[in-house]
Amino acid sequence: MSQQSASAQRSIPQSKEALLKSYTIRLKDDVKSMLDNFTEIIRLARVEEDGQVSRTAQAEQDQYEMQVRASNIVRAGESLMKLVSDLKIYLILNDFPSVNDSIAHRTQVCKRLQNEIDAKLLSVRDDLATDLYELEDEYYSSVYK
Amino acid sequence: MAGNGPMEKLQLLENIEKDIASAIASAGKALEELAKDKPVMKSIESNTTAFTKTLESVEKGLMNQINYLTQVSTGQPHEGSCYAAQKDLHMSYHRHAHVKRRLEELEKIRADTKPKVLQLTKSYSLPPMAQPVPGNQ
Repeated sequence: MSQQSASAQRSIPQSKEALLKSYTIRLKDDVKSMLDNFTEIIRLARVEEDGQVSRTAQAEQDQYEMQVRASNIVRAGESLMKLVSDLKIYLILNDFPSVNDSIAHRTQVCKRLQNEIDAKLLSVRDDLATDLYELEDEYYSSVYK
Repeated sequence: MAGNGPMEKLQLLENIEKDIASAIASAGKALEELAKDKPVMKSIESNTTAFTKTLESVEKGLMNQINYLTQVSTGQPHEGSCYAAQKDLHMSYHRHAHVKRRLEELEKIRADTKPKVLQLTKSYSLPPMAQPVPGNQ
């Protein structure tokens, strides 16, 4: 039972490591895809000598290939955007130093505001106590008591 | 100041997103220039350089973030919160509102009883003193 919980605790960091490793792989693949497709489009722009295929067919083929490669560049860009979004979520949930700092700062702000409000209430109480003392003195020494 | 920590890193990721868009825009401009009848080589080269440099900076920035997360992330969820301090602050707001309401009630009582006090003052005031008639003295 304790071995199962220990192995469960060990498996959780491994999944986090695997997740971060997958992010690294996605990053490298997407950047490589963008660079390679861009390079290939530039290479296709070179005018080559007539081969076995007719010039029209070659032009059609090159145009289609350029469109596909351009779409690949855009797809890789969108995949990078998704990766950035996943990293933002991971950062918010797992960046403990920043979360601790944020919690400490928020706690400090709340405590400072609370102390200010309580100090003002205490000063109001003191002023009211002083006035009440004088009013009571006046009232109990008058004919209206 | 402490709140800038997470915001800084999120802002870096925001900038990386903008860089990705600008890299694709640079690539598009380079290819658009290349497609013209008389392309300007300088423009193509500058856009291509911008594309590659931006992509390099994107890769470097994201690798830095991933390395940082590899160092700081644990397997456990964060269980801290500022709920206690927030609740204390809400309670002090309630105390403040309560005191304010009671003082407003006192002010209202004072405003309502002011005419009655004036009437009481008049009823208990002394009769006017008799004025000496000039010429009798």
